[in-house]
Parts: sequence; C-alpha cells; structure tokens
Amino acid sequence: MNKASRLEGFGFIAPLLVLMVVAFNAPIVYMLGLAFWEKGRGFTLEHYEGLLEAPVYLRVLGNTMRIALIATLANILIGYPLAHWMRGLGSRGRVIAIALVVLPFWVSILVRTYAWIVVLGNGGIVNRALQWSGLTDAPVSFLYNELGVTIGMANVLLPFLVLPLFAAMLRIDDRLLQAAASLGAPPRTIFWKVYFPLTLPALAAGALLVFILCLGFYVTPAILGGGRVPMISNLLDTLINQIPRWEQASAISTILLIVTLAIFAAYRRLDRKASA
Amino acid sequence: MSDIRLEGVTKRYGTFAAADSVDLSVTQGEFVTILGPSGSGKTTLLSLIAGLNRPTSGRISIGGRDVTEATAQERNIGLVFQSYALFPHMTVLQNVLFPLGVRRIGGAEAGRLARDALKLVRLDGFEGRRPSQLSGGQQQRVALARAVVFKPDILLLDEPLGALDRKLREELQVELKQLQRSLGVTTILVTHDQEEALSLSDRIMVLDKGRVQQVAAPTEAYLKPANRFVAEFLGIANFVGLPDGRQGVIRPERVRLMAAGQGLPARVVEAIYLGQMVRYHLALEGNQSVVAAVPFLGAAHAPGERVSVSWESADVWPVT
Amino acid sequence: MKRRTFVGAAAALPAVGLLSGGARAQSKEIRMIESGGASGESIQKGYIDPLFQKTGIKVVRESPSSLGKLRALVESGQTSTTLFELGSGVVLQAKKLGLIEKVDWAAVAPAAMFPEAKDEYGFGYQYFSTIMAWRKGVKEPKNFTEFFDTKAFPGKRCLPDYPHYCLPFALQAAGVPIDKLFPLDVDMAFKKLNEIKKDVAVWWKAGAQPPQLMKDNEVQYSICWSGRVVGDPAFGLSFAGGKADLSFICVVKGSKPDDKAAAWKLMHEMSLPENQAKAAEVISYTGPSPDLDKLLPQDKLWQFPTSKQNKDVQYFENAQWWADNGEAVNKKWEAFKLSL
Repeated sequence: MNKASRLEGFGFIAPLLVLMVVAFNAPIVYMLGLAFWEKGRGFTLEHYEGLLEAPVYLRVLGNTMRIALIATLANILIGYPLAHWMRGLGSRGRVIAIALVVLPFWVSILVRTYAWIVVLGNGGIVNRALQWSGLTDAPVSFLYNELGVTIGMANVLLPFLVLPLFAAMLRIDDRLLQAAASLGAPPRTIFWKVYFPLTLPALAAGALLVFILCLGFYVTPAILGGGRVPMISNLLDTLINQIPRWEQASAISTILLIVTLAIFAAYRRLDRKASA
Repeated sequence: MSDIRLEGVTKRYGTFAAADSVDLSVTQGEFVTILGPSGSGKTTLLSLIAGLNRPTSGRISIGGRDVTEATAQERNIGLVFQSYALFPHMTVLQNVLFPLGVRRIGGAEAGRLARDALKLVRLDGFEGRRPSQLSGGQQQRVALARAVVFKPDILLLDEPLGALDRKLREELQVELKQLQRSLGVTTILVTHDQEEALSLSDRIMVLDKGRVQQVAAPTEAYLKPANRFVAEFLGIANFVGLPDGRQGVIRPERVRLMAAGQGLPARVVEAIYLGQMVRYHLALEGNQSVVAAVPFLGAAHAPGERVSVSWESADVWPVT
Repeated sequence: MKRRTFVGAAAALPAVGLLSGGARAQSKEIRMIESGGASGESIQKGYIDPLFQKTGIKVVRESPSSLGKLRALVESGQTSTTLFELGSGVVLQAKKLGLIEKVDWAAVAPAAMFPEAKDEYGFGYQYFSTIMAWRKGVKEPKNFTEFFDTKAFPGKRCLPDYPHYCLPFALQAAGVPIDKLFPLDVDMAFKKLNEIKKDVAVWWKAGAQPPQLMKDNEVQYSICWSGRVVGDPAFGLSFAGGKADLSFICVVKGSKPDDKAAAWKLMHEMSLPENQAKAAEVISYTGPSPDLDKLLPQDKLWQFPTSKQNKDVQYFENAQWWADNGEAVNKKWEAFKLSL
C-alpha cells in the first residue's frame, strides 16, 4: 500500500476515530482526572491519600477481586468439562447444547437472577427436594451469601467462557489425539500434554474476560448476595449518586483500571511466552 | 519388528460393513500396501490394526500376540497420517521426543534417539522449529521421525504422501522405501494411488467395498489380476475374448503395434506422449477398442493412420 | 437513591435515548426526568394531564433519575431537560454543587402545603414512608424495639442496604424516642445492628425485594417502603416509628426562562389537593397538601404516609444531618458490611 492510499484510508476512518475519542475516551480521561484536579485548587493527591487513610474502600476492592476470582474458577470448573462434552456431541446435539448455553443471553439479567431464587431459595426446588429426600432437616443457605453470588455470576458469564473454549476445542484435529494414542500415550497424558495445551490460550482468554466482567458486576451480587457481599460497583454507585464523592469514586476507578490492565498485561506476557 | 496376522476381521457400522472378513498376513520386515478406491474400507482397516478402533468380529495378532482388544498405546505401532498430525504447540524436537517421554525414556538417551531419527529423515538442524514453520514435505518427515524414533514393531502409513505435489511425492517415495529397508520394520501403507502401491510394496492387497479382492506381489496383481475389478483398478486393462468364450485381460505394454497388414487391422484414434512411451488408443474391427503402450523411438503414428496389432496368447490372463 | 426504580433502571435506558433525540413540538413542551414506574404514572395522571388540559403545555417524562445523571446534564451544558426528581438528601447535594435553580414560589403560587415540602430549591411533591412489615401469621411487633428483638420475635429480617434507612431504626430499638434521633448516635446504632446482623438474611437494594422475599418465606420481617406492601393481604405493617421522607421536583440549573415558566405552572398543579388525590389513585404515596385527607377514600387513610394517624407516629428524614455526615457514616457502613 502506498502512502497516498494509506492517507486516503485514514481519511475514511478519521471520523470514526474522532467519535471514539470524543464519545468514549475523553469522558474516561475526564473521570480519571477528577481525582487529581479540583476546580479552583489545582493538582491534588488528597483523594488517594484519603483511600489510604480509610482502607475500607480498598478492602471492598480486594473483596471484589476475591469474589471475581472465585467466580472465574467456578466458571472454569463448570465450563471446561461442559465445552469438552459438547465437542463430543453430534452436530444436532451441538446446536442444541449451544442454544442452551447461549439461552441465558436472551433473558434479562434480572429475570435470570430472580429465577435462581425460585431454584435455590429456602422454599426453592432444590431445598424442597433435599428436605423431601431426608438429606437435610433445615433449608441449606445457597443464597444471600458468597455462594449465591458465585452461582449467579457463573451462570450469567458461562457463555463467555464456554463459547470461545468450545470453538478452540472444535479446531483440535481428532487425528492429533489418535496420533498421540498411537505413539503410546495413555488418555491422561493425551489430555494434559496435547489436548489441554491446545485449549489453554482460549481458556486463558475466556477466563480473563470472565474475571474482568465479574469485577463490574452490580445486579447479581446485590440480589443473590443479599447485600452481604460488598462489590466495588455498588460502592461506586453510592459514591456517585448518593454521597456524592466523584473524586473518591474516580480514585477507586483508577485503581480498578490499573489492576485490570496489569492482569491483562500479565496475560499477554504469558501468552507471548507460550507461543514464542 | 513383528509379523501381523488378520483373521476374518470385520467392522460393521449398522448394516454397513466397512471391513468384511479380511484375512491378511504380513511377514516380518515386509512392506504391504492396502490399495483401494476411496470408501473401500482401507483406512478403517488401518485404524483397526493401529488399535484406534475395535473390530466387530475377527482377530488381529502382532508378533504372535493377540491384540484384538488392546488399546493403541499397548500395541507399539508407529502411525503416520496424511495430515501429518504434528503437535502444533511443540517444536520439532519435542514432537519427536513425545513417544519417548511416554515410554519413560528421557535425558541424554532420548536426545540421542531423537537426533538420530531426525538425521535419518535429513532434518537435523530443524529441532527448534515449530511445525507451522516447515514445508509439507518437511512436516511429513518429522511425522516419520516421530513414528520410528521409538523403534515400533510396525509402521503404519495412511496416505502419507497424498498431500504433497508430484515431484516431492516421487522423491519421498524413494526415501520412504530406503528408510523402511534400512530399519527393516514391518510396514503397511494405505493408498489409493496405484503407482505408489506398485513402486513401493513387496505385496499389495486390493480392497473393494470392505472385501479383499487380491493379495499378491505388484507385478503379479498387475499382470494376473484376480478379477475384473483388480484389472481395471490397477492401470489400463484391455479385455479380449478367449477361444473358450471367457474374457481375458492384456496390459497395454504387452500389445504389439505393427505396420498395416501384419496382424489385426486397427485405426489410431488417439496418440498420447508420455515421455519415454506413447500410448495409442486404437479401434479394431467391430468397434472394439484396444490400448497399446510402446516405447517412443522418435516417430509415431498419427490419429487416423491404419496400423495392425497383435499379442501373445500367453500374455492374456483370463478373468471372471 | 433510586427509590423505586432499581429494577426499572436497565429497562428504561433505551427509552431515554429515543426521547431525547426527538424534535421539539410547536406548542410548549418541557422534559422531566423522574424515578419511573408507578410513581411516574402518578405524576402523569395527577399533574401532567391536568396541566395539559388547562394550558396546552406538554411535559415529556423520562426515567430513571440519579444525581450522577443530573450532574452530567449540567456539566455538559445542555438545557433540554427542565425538571428533575431528587430525593431529599440529594437536593442538598445538588444545591451544594450548584446543579439546581431556586424555585420562584411567587410564580408557583401554591395552594396550602406542609412547610417541609416548600423548599427554597425544590417542590416536595410526594411523601413516602419506610416502615416495618411482616408476613401474615408471625408474631406482630408494635415498635422497633420489638422488631429488632429477634428472641421474642423469631424470624429472618430483610433490611435496606442503606445506612440512612437502618441507623435511625436501630437507635429506636436501643430506646431513643423518634423526636431525639438526630443527631444520630452512630456508634450506638452500629452496636445494635451488630447484635442482630446474624438474623438479617438479606440487605435489600431494590424496593421490590422485601415483599417478594416475604411472599417466598425467605424472610418474615422487613423494613420496606410502605407503597410496596399496603393493600396486600399477605402482609401486616405498622407506620409506628417509620420514616417519612419527601421526593422533590427541582429545576435544572441553566434552564431557559420560558421552560422555567412552564415548570412553575406544573408545580402549581402539583400543589392542588384534587390533583394529589388523583395521583394517590395510582400510588399510595401522597402529595404535600394538609387538606388532602378528606379527598382520599376514607377506608384507605391508614395506607398513606401523610394521613393524620400516620404522619404523627413517624419521624421526618433529616437530610441536612446526612448531607453533613453521610460520607463518614458510609465508610463505617462499608466496614460493617465487610464484617457480615
């Protein structure tokens, strides 16, 4: 491509770039800048100092990370075997399985979240079955705790993990596995030395996506957590809409953004090392 | 290094028999080719021998040991696929080390064996590359090295050269034959390419619709086909009537071509140059057609020209 | 706080985009951002429709409302939205940030109003109460001391996930009378909450949660908005010790003069008791007229926040105290939540 046509190409894309910068990037930069710059007072670090002095907000951030990590691990534990099982289905079974996995996408997050109450509540299907069968005397508390939040988030985010993973698993040639078997590898070795490494990039990308989405969860922790699982987005809502301390919210958001970017950078580094 | 014996091996999918009562015995160090059109069941048969699949009935033994129900990893077989099936996330060296690691061979010995195998396929110096950085021919050589590095009892090759272009394929055919001979490993090759089968094998087994049509040395199968299917599948066949009313087959190389008036009168329909040979498509009286292949000696008959043909009756092989 | 519309918020977003893109009609038209749901419909039926019939002025509603949205509107310099609904605490914040205009009470010329509804910066158009409620069939508490006595009144509780709802009730449980609640003894309130936190199954964020949780028998006692439980035979309730609060309609800073003039006219309609009675047909929250009781269905007076029998037993929200202390309390609240 020569210089002139490159310029022409840029001409076409320029309005879009301007839109992106004005509509998306500028407000974010403004928002992040709020913590450093105050009208009439100039540059300040006081809001970050405030965070250090009142570490309760940082503890909420830490709690959010912990819950996001647990939900991501739960997602992997459910999603990986599920995707693997789907790979083994016939073409019709795959279509049905994908539809079932994607179905939650089409249902409002609120409906889904309330549906869990019907299933897992004290008078829900699971608890009634447990008590009827005599396995438990009192209802088991699935909801209104971290378990409830984990279940709810895993359900909502499962497609984000399963779909890329399933696509990667489908791309694995059966003959690679047959070759490994013919070379003398037992099933466990075939899985860990051949199959798993080939799905690892998709697994890592999916897990990272799920983790980052978990960090921003709002509705599910509020309802299924029964308000007992403080998450950073609920705190930000309070700081923006109620108190209001936008500067403090900005400082917390900045830390959240940096942590997320750091995780992403670590992933990229690992990925590059793996494919080098 | 072992012999292989198949006895009444059958594989059914529903009512369809992909392999139907196949008997075959391969002696130690022999190179046998399973030849057949696509869908004839040859790959099924190979996967049964490799242990990737279990037969519906019948018995498979390797080196005198019944392996009918043994898994692939229990059979000590080197398998090479048409698609190479190299592990894309491993380097060339790691690929070749894989079967050694599985066998708990490690350290210096594994390194030496892997390097020897790579040297055998002339890929020393490529150890650190990834499969995606290699050409098709190089990838196939890695697959070969991986399949022989652990000194398998048997080498199974599933259309190993099918994805390569003609020139490379011919080169690799020679290498493959040399490799097989130097290792002395019992080898079964599956292909639909009859030229490949004829040039590489000690014996060939022709398969159609899951059933064995003929097992014989290449020249025997070519000149003395067991039936019409084999005759037609292996090269070009001229069918002629025999005095006793049966049909016989005669190969184009055995048809003599002479100036008009010396044998059966014929007219040249088409003359095709094949380098050292010319292939004539001829029309006899009564609209019977015959193909003759004669050495090209600087001059040829043109289409429409009147010639005559003849053959030795001993060269005609009766078929049913 | 999004008082009634936590649930409606996500659904309402596309509508905002649609409406704000439309062109202005020839006749006078102003825009209002309110909290949505049944409350929005009550504004439509009680005040917007009568205003249109009398003057031809149209008011277009959007929802939901939040302080963040108001701040974004004003800081971006837009003037298309004139009216904005805010909670009593948020009015003070908005005033401090310079996001709302003073009300021209002379131009509004209101009918008689309760004094706390006639704010310098906003028209207190709707009273709502936060009260105790329970699932029918359980032992019924008469006050918050009993409500918080989980030994004598066993059962799971559902409390709001907001400190300015919980702390004053906890203080009542500790024996503080409703006229001595403010300034709040924050430490004493948290001490009480710590005592009963193990019996609180759910801390709710959405007003729809407590009635549903009581119906499902997940909890037996709730502190919730009166409008969510009155009239439902499944629940018992008491206004005793409850919190009365006001929602305000404010005018967005920088609105055009003729838009403001239309806004004063709507506020006038909002002050008329006959209009407030119409609004009360849609939602059981009531307007600020002291003359409203006689226009309401007499058999339902016990349901409304401002009826004489209820107004006297509740305390009124002290928004100023929360404006001064909210942030410090919130940090303690977050720490408390982390201890659950």
